[in-house]
Amino acid sequence: MIALLVIHALAATAAPFLVRLLGRRAFWLLALPPAGAAGWALTQTGAVRDGHGPTESLRWVPSLGMNLTFTLDTLAWLMTLIVGGIGALILIYCSSYFERDAPGMGRFAGCLTGFAGAMLGLVTTDDLLVLYLFWEATTVLSYLLIGHKTTSRDSRSAATQALVVTTAGGLAMLIGIVIIGQSAGTYRISEVLAAPPTGTAVTAAVVLLLAGAISKSALVPFHFWLPGAMAAPTPVSAYLHAAAMVKAGIYLIARFAPAYSGLTEWKVTLLTLGGLTMLIGAWRALRQVDLKLLLAYGTVSQLGFISLVVGAGGHGAALAGLGLLLSHALFKSTLFLSVGAIDCRTGTRDLRRLNGLGRRMPWIAGAALLAGLSMAGLPLLMGFFAKEAAFGAFLLGPEYDAGPTGSAGADTLMLAVMVVGSILTFAYTARFLWGAFATAPRRELTEVFDAGPWLTAVPVLLGAGGLVVGLTATWIEPLLAPYADQWVAGDHPVHLGGWHGFNLALLLSVLTWACGAALFAARAPFESAQGRLPRTYSAEQVYRLAMRSLDRASVEVTGAVQRGSLPLSLALILIVFIVVPGSQLLWGGVTWPDQVRWWDNPAQPAVGLVVVAAAVAATRARRRLRAVFLLGVTGYGASMLFLLHGAPDLALTQILVETVSLVVFVLVLRRLSGKFPDDPPRAVRRWRALLGLGVGTVTAAMALTASAVRSTPPSASDLARSAVEFGGGSNIVNVILVDVRAWDTMGELSVVLVAATGVASLVFIGGDVHARGRQLIRASWERRGSYTDVGGAEGSGSRWLAEGGRLAPERRSTIFEVVTRLVFHTIVLWSLYLLFSGHNHPGGGFAAGLMCGLALAVRYLAGSRDELLAAAPVMPGLLMGAGLFLSAGVGLGAMLAGGGPLQSWIFDLHLPLLGHVHLVTSVFFDLGVYLVVIGLMLDILRSLGSRVDTQIEQQDAESVQVAGTHTESGEPAANSSPVREGPMGT
Amino acid sequence: MTAALSSVPAADFVATKVEYAAVLPMFIVFGMALVGVLVEAFAPRRVRYPIQLVLTLGGLVAAFLVLVLYSRDHQAKTAGGAIVIDGPALFLQGTVLVLGAVGLLAMAERLDSAAPDTFTQSGSAVPGSPQEAAAVRMGATTTEVFPLVLFAISGMMMFPAAGDLLTMFVALEVLSLPLYILTGLARRRRLLSQEASLKYFLLGAFSSAFFLFGSALIYGFAGSVRFGEIAKAVPQVGGMDSIAVPGVLLIAVGLLFKIGAVPFHSWTPDVYQGAPTPVTGFMAACTKIAAFGALLRVLYVAFEGLRWNWQPVVAVVAALTMIVGAVLSVTQTDVKRLLAYSSITHAGFVLVGVLAMDRTGVSSTMFYLVAYGFSTIAAFALIALVRSSGSEATHLSQWAGLGKSSPVLAGAFSFLMLAFAGIPLTSGFTAKFAVFGAAIAHDGTWLAVIGVLASAVTAFVYVRVIVLMYFSEPSGDTAVLTPSVLTSTAVTIGVAATLLLGIVPSPLLDLAHDSSLFLP
Repeated sequence: MIALLVIHALAATAAPFLVRLLGRRAFWLLALPPAGAAGWALTQTGAVRDGHGPTESLRWVPSLGMNLTFTLDTLAWLMTLIVGGIGALILIYCSSYFERDAPGMGRFAGCLTGFAGAMLGLVTTDDLLVLYLFWEATTVLSYLLIGHKTTSRDSRSAATQALVVTTAGGLAMLIGIVIIGQSAGTYRISEVLAAPPTGTAVTAAVVLLLAGAISKSALVPFHFWLPGAMAAPTPVSAYLHAAAMVKAGIYLIARFAPAYSGLTEWKVTLLTLGGLTMLIGAWRALRQVDLKLLLAYGTVSQLGFISLVVGAGGHGAALAGLGLLLSHALFKSTLFLSVGAIDCRTGTRDLRRLNGLGRRMPWIAGAALLAGLSMAGLPLLMGFFAKEAAFGAFLLGPEYDAGPTGSAGADTLMLAVMVVGSILTFAYTARFLWGAFATAPRRELTEVFDAGPWLTAVPVLLGAGGLVVGLTATWIEPLLAPYADQWVAGDHPVHLGGWHGFNLALLLSVLTWACGAALFAARAPFESAQGRLPRTYSAEQVYRLAMRSLDRASVEVTGAVQRGSLPLSLALILIVFIVVPGSQLLWGGVTWPDQVRWWDNPAQPAVGLVVVAAAVAATRARRRLRAVFLLGVTGYGASMLFLLHGAPDLALTQILVETVSLVVFVLVLRRLSGKFPDDPPRAVRRWRALLGLGVGTVTAAMALTASAVRSTPPSASDLARSAVEFGGGSNIVNVILVDVRAWDTMGELSVVLVAATGVASLVFIGGDVHARGRQLIRASWERRGSYTDVGGAEGSGSRWLAEGGRLAPERRSTIFEVVTRLVFHTIVLWSLYLLFSGHNHPGGGFAAGLMCGLALAVRYLAGSRDELLAAAPVMPGLLMGAGLFLSAGVGLGAMLAGGGPLQSWIFDLHLPLLGHVHLVTSVFFDLGVYLVVIGLMLDILRSLGSRVDTQIEQQDAESVQVAGTHTESGEPAANSSPVREGPMGT
Repeated sequence: MTAALSSVPAADFVATKVEYAAVLPMFIVFGMALVGVLVEAFAPRRVRYPIQLVLTLGGLVAAFLVLVLYSRDHQAKTAGGAIVIDGPALFLQGTVLVLGAVGLLAMAERLDSAAPDTFTQSGSAVPGSPQEAAAVRMGATTTEVFPLVLFAISGMMMFPAAGDLLTMFVALEVLSLPLYILTGLARRRRLLSQEASLKYFLLGAFSSAFFLFGSALIYGFAGSVRFGEIAKAVPQVGGMDSIAVPGVLLIAVGLLFKIGAVPFHSWTPDVYQGAPTPVTGFMAACTKIAAFGALLRVLYVAFEGLRWNWQPVVAVVAALTMIVGAVLSVTQTDVKRLLAYSSITHAGFVLVGVLAMDRTGVSSTMFYLVAYGFSTIAAFALIALVRSSGSEATHLSQWAGLGKSSPVLAGAFSFLMLAFAGIPLTSGFTAKFAVFGAAIAHDGTWLAVIGVLASAVTAFVYVRVIVLMYFSEPSGDTAVLTPSVLTSTAVTIGVAATLLLGIVPSPLLDLAHDSSLFLP
């Protein structure tokens, strides 16, 4: 069997080349693999009947329990014959059906051959997962076949529909398979069937399995995809939608019926849906005028019938079910192929336009007649015997209380459904045959063209096959019996074929024919009555509605949460933060502290209130500057809290950081509009404030509980001692920075350096800015040398700032200049003090650097960029590089001196003027930090300050130019852009 | 002047032993990245591209060979427990190396010109500014993407191998920062790209902060950041759930963000759409692998004992991820956004596997990541080839009729779509089956059912794309470029792997299973 599958695969792969080479004759070659499969199955007939059909196994994915196991039992044998035999005939039919050089024939041939192989694998495999694999393979291939050379909107949606429905069903089936496999501990079908697992989960799994089968076999409520799929070329319809693919679902039902047909869920599902499908399909078939659609609805109806019988379980029903399966495959493919022939040779399938074909195409008419009789259930044909057997099996219920459903009432109901369905079937069969082949006197005859011989021969062969099988039904029965024998045969066995005397089943058949004939005779009034019935919701509309609502839901959700809005995304994350840890805090059995000391000092709550108020106000701010200032208030408040808590060094650092960020903000805000551009409505801002409140509360609660569950002493408790002992300083933070964690500090320094360089290079991109910077600095140095000369030109040297004279008069503020002049050197000196005292007192390199940087900022704000150059006529890179070098040098120096890298030494010196000096070598490291931070500040001022100034000036100049030209051309000089203020807005 | 020198006692310092054999692959990649930076600085512009290409690919291949031939036999907990090279770490590192190399091939595509194809020539210039024009005129090469990718890969290798929370955080940043930059370097639609980069950065910074906050809480709980120590502390330390559980959840938030799980997914569509297409593929594949590796280690090694607390939350996240990803993918009209939502859904599927909490969970997750990685890189590489009037044609309507005009591309893309949908004989099926099977075996049936429903919805979406390509008439001026050998190789590898892992998944499944044991 594996060999056969491989041959199919090879043939499918080679098909395009073969078609290119041989044209449509290639189909003959491609028919060989399916024919071989059928032939091989025939040679195994005896073995299968005796219950020891061949089994092959190949380990494939053992870790997932997936094995290529194939076995041929009665069911598989029958299906192989159908799939292989009809497959081969249909491929032969194709050789005449297609034009000599039809486009896409190669792909089509490959898909069809591959499909035959997939079906063969599907029916012979003994592994659930491999079954699923072939199942999906048939889905995809059928999609490709349905979609063959069609670009119309209808066929597109039909193909999509077919694929979506069957894929969804297939996925449901997969879950069922996995559950069954996990509960049984094996994916071997034969082992599962031998000892079927039970339980709620397995019941659910079986229903899921049925969902797959139902969707594949086009049972209600998924029946709509089958008529839709009739866009396919006729051979495809004949093969996929009559003989093979739609049978896959029935095969699955038949396969699992022995194990699960006793389950109530199984029975209810299949009997209800099967019965409904049978009636609905036949009802719809009566209304069709397109022969192919008529057959499609007829197929739906028959599929319902077969699944009802097969799914019912029981010896008799099983036998009847297999009989129906066989007969349906034969007659329906004959009918489809006949329609294909009619379509090919007349160009239409509309039974209102066809006329007199019975005489013009006698062979086809004969074949169709045989098949039609079988479908209608007339004697001597397989359809009749199978239907008799089905009636017989269900009659066991009312007659002997031994029916397949286990309840006489249900059996009778099902019987009634089958009889009604069969009446309708008889009627639409008659309608089909009459419409296609009869000669109506007052219409012109349909023109018939010639076509290849096989277009006729294949349907005739298949139609005759139906007759032969019917005549030999009694011999076929023992071949099918092993399948039915999985149930106990009762006292009143049902038989396939032969003459059983005048019994109730025959009476029902006669009733069927009579009513069917009457219905056909009264077709005109019946059709109009059908037309008058109110239209109900069809399953297809439900499908469309579901798809539309999916679309709708998707649009809505996208619009609600996925607008690409950053605040929204952040809000989502924050909500999760509030909800998840928050609910843990509320209901997670959290230890809260026994007593909470609210404050040590009444100033603390006061500061806290200010901070909270500022934070809330910040969320309500509409202007950027206000928001930034309010944010700053919260920061300063925090530093106040540090101070009140007794951490002056921390407070100092916090204040400095806060100030620097404020300065940077202000520098940048010059380039942005004053208001927030999105200007959210009041509700949104309230909502945001609430969100912030929530996050704050959760964080505070977390801090509270974290301090309550402390079980070990804080690791910082002996830091105060060891900081002096090891680091030689009593400012713990500073000791940590420059001694204990000096490596980290060094790493951070390099990061700062890289970041600053990055910012600067982004702002200064383009041109030879670097060289120009150097030039400016050189110029500044030179001016410094000739200070008085320049001053003299302005008169009396009355400037307070070195470069103040170079600023436009309207931008100067004398008071500011005076203050700057007075405090600048003091601040720098103070920063030096902070640097050197930092090891023992509040301060340190970082704070000192920020302090010095702020001094530079003051100079810049007072006197703009030239003043900044005068204050610090160096490239920031130099400062930062020197700083890093110094820090690293200290580390290296320590190594040279024989210590570990970055080890500190303490010197106690007596210097003449200063007296006792306690010098720890780590101060040089701190010096490095100091320089890097100054460099960073300088970089920020240069790039976000001076450089942006230049840009603004350039733009101003341009806009003046533009405004000028506008005025000349008679237009009002437009207002220049809203935010073009100098530093501090003068 | 008297100088009194008092020497400061140095703390006892024990140098940690590093098992160089185990970490050598990481060192190679990191080293090559540094060399790449030097090349950028000193090599003349003309030769940078070939040098970088050879260097980067060579580095990745060498690292992979070392990993397979040498490091595999030197599994160890090393660098004082900061790095753990065990089965899952090696497996994921190897995967990242291979997929990184494949992704790099697609990124290096230049289409026979001397300028980069998908990368801007001047990432820092304002779009449309004179600076940008100058950069183009000067023939800027944007070869810095090579070292950036290597840095990202070295972070990705470190991420699943981290032995403590801090190392993991460092790895997180090392892998993220280059990605932020790479995201902003798209050559076309640059503002979109820069916006994506900024969003990614800001939200990423937030999630990193969550991760750190969580780490701090866990340190407070366990007194250590080492996973092994945390695991030991879980049963011993009582009454501290109030910080342990939020700690775990916050760390999980940080990792779930990188994975793109709902509700931390909002960056994904924007970033996937804005980033240069091959970078998107690289990100979708490799970032996920690294982040899932880290998630596995955190959840399986450190917090296994707290699973009753976090498992329901992660299960809900997984369910939401599948549902939201699937439902939102329905309306997408942009191929890249569609695949972004698809990647979200896939993240949900993988999470289902993670929740199995035993070896099958680890192995199925890892297999899924490999399968998805190959498919997704190839898919994005293909998207980069579809152009319309010079820029990438990512709108779905522009893909109409591609089945006719370029059957090879449409065929390959359809095949990948089928793999995403989980159709058998593709890697997608095997992967999905593995994770769902693992879930069903460990009380995760409801997740598997949601997963299947989500798959059905996404299958609908993928089918629509295929239908569009084959069942519509071509419209507009959509054209498919002929790729150079680089992209062709990347696509071929991706498609072949997708097929092979569908037909013969056994070797990789076995390998994943053999490497599914964490060192404690």
